[in-house]
Amino acid sequence: MTDTTTSSVDGPKGPPIGALRLPRQLSQSRAAYILLAPLLIFFGISVVYPVVETIRLSFFEIKGLAPPKAVGLGNYLKLFYDENFMRALRVTFYWSFSATFFSVIIGWALAMACALKPRETMVFRVLIFAAYGVSEAVVGFIWLGIYRPDYGLLNGILGGMGLEHLQQAWLGNPATALTAVIVAYVWTQVGLPLMMCFASIQSIPRTYFEAAYIDGAKPMSMMRHIVMPLSLPGVRVAIFINLLQSLKAFDLIYMLTGGGPVRTTETVGFFMFRESMLNFKLGYGAASTVVLLVAVLIVSIPLIAQRTRAVK
Amino acid sequence: MIGKTPIWVLPIVAIVALIWIVPLLGLVIISIRPMAETTLGWWSMAEVTFTLDAWTTVWDKFPLAYAAWVSTKIAVISTLIPMVMAPAAAYAFHYLSFPMRRVLLLIIVNAFVLPNQVVVIPLFLLWRDLGMIDNMWSVIIPFAGLSFAWSVFLVKNYLEDFPKDLIEAAQIDACGPIARFFYIVLPNMLTPIAAVAILQFMWTWNGLLLPVVFLRDELPLPALLARVQGVYDNNFDQVAVAAIITTIVPLVIFVVFQRYFTAGAQTKTGSKE
Repeated sequence: MTDTTTSSVDGPKGPPIGALRLPRQLSQSRAAYILLAPLLIFFGISVVYPVVETIRLSFFEIKGLAPPKAVGLGNYLKLFYDENFMRALRVTFYWSFSATFFSVIIGWALAMACALKPRETMVFRVLIFAAYGVSEAVVGFIWLGIYRPDYGLLNGILGGMGLEHLQQAWLGNPATALTAVIVAYVWTQVGLPLMMCFASIQSIPRTYFEAAYIDGAKPMSMMRHIVMPLSLPGVRVAIFINLLQSLKAFDLIYMLTGGGPVRTTETVGFFMFRESMLNFKLGYGAASTVVLLVAVLIVSIPLIAQRTRAVK
Repeated sequence: MIGKTPIWVLPIVAIVALIWIVPLLGLVIISIRPMAETTLGWWSMAEVTFTLDAWTTVWDKFPLAYAAWVSTKIAVISTLIPMVMAPAAAYAFHYLSFPMRRVLLLIIVNAFVLPNQVVVIPLFLLWRDLGMIDNMWSVIIPFAGLSFAWSVFLVKNYLEDFPKDLIEAAQIDACGPIARFFYIVLPNMLTPIAAVAILQFMWTWNGLLLPVVFLRDELPLPALLARVQGVYDNNFDQVAVAAIITTIVPLVIFVVFQRYFTAGAQTKTGSKE
């Protein structure tokens, strides 16, 4: 509303716009809070309150309906000496890093292969990506069928290949259960890095390939020297997404093993569920949630920094 | 890419894709063959009969139709809330100046890193005290609340490209800050709103942790599936039908709108610039 002078160009008769009395407008901050109020209520109940309350409860011992008893750092000390929790911590890291490693490596390799024939491989990309769209509860049911000791697909294939001595109860054997669950998890996840790396390869300018072609480069060396380095940003994003998702893993473990056998497939995200919802040690469960929260925050420092810079 | 591509590329990708789809194929086959044939494995070809028995009997066996109804209610309401509130918030954060703006914005958009597990204990205690366990709102409220961490960011990103002149013109024409949102911005934000809706619908439909913790009898499909697969071990064909019913809606949405998901996953993890 600063350009009142230009508006009076039509003639000297009309009053300048600045002289017009506009109807009173709501102040910006009042309008903003009216628009934000519903969101802030939802966000407060389901994010701010739970985070604060989880941290607070982690300093208490809560048994059933009895009043909570303050124990200071007691829960954390107990976690530190709890063999099951330390195992859950190790399982979480092993699970997150191996699942991320294999999902991204397989996805990236497939993306590069698909980029050689983008049009012909479209259907195949969609088929692989479709696994990512299957509900994790259903993924669990499907892989239960594959790992069944009696007539599961995996034992069936081993039998068909004459490898009967390798047949076993994949989910019932503590030595194989975690790997089995990770394989099922990788099956669902590969599609995402595939699509993201593929998109990042597609965005490489065509002129780079033309220049390389004129210089006599073969497709494989273009892969090595153009595609691999230039798709790294996509790979980096895929790594972070996969890590962040797998740190929180719960659904698939709940479906496939329920944390067993002998708690060998229990991640921290599942440990908190067992302690708080099955054993009703809510304060103890809260303390383990705080540990999970800290782990997630450490992994996401680069993401948070990036987002903080990105929003204005 | 330019130049002659090696001939092995296509067969290899095709084989990988087929291996990838075998587990899903097995699920469908189990559901359309009689149990007696598939007990030795769904791939056994000794005798092949087509039957829809499981498809017709499953409805009496499990409360599948009811669970589908619960799933629909929860997913639709949890999706409608951010469809309206996220654009309003994104607009306020983008165009209006108000105290605490930057602090609130940073808290909200960075909350995307929080695991769902964080809400479990405090909300369980809160719902128990309020008598809201087994009430669908006990799941809808956190589903909606947690969605804002990524949905506000997604819509606000889109507003970066929105012409500022339009807003200023409306302001000069005496359109107030709230009216500007409803008349100028909202009608032009249908694309990001659709993206929010698709992503949120799928994530809430598939969610397992919160329904398992907060609901007892009013179970949505994934939670029902988790419960029956342990109890009714002998009805593999019927559970397979239940599994297909559970995932068919999100899977179709996913395949049709898949490009939203690559973009959406990036926004959810904050990596999209």
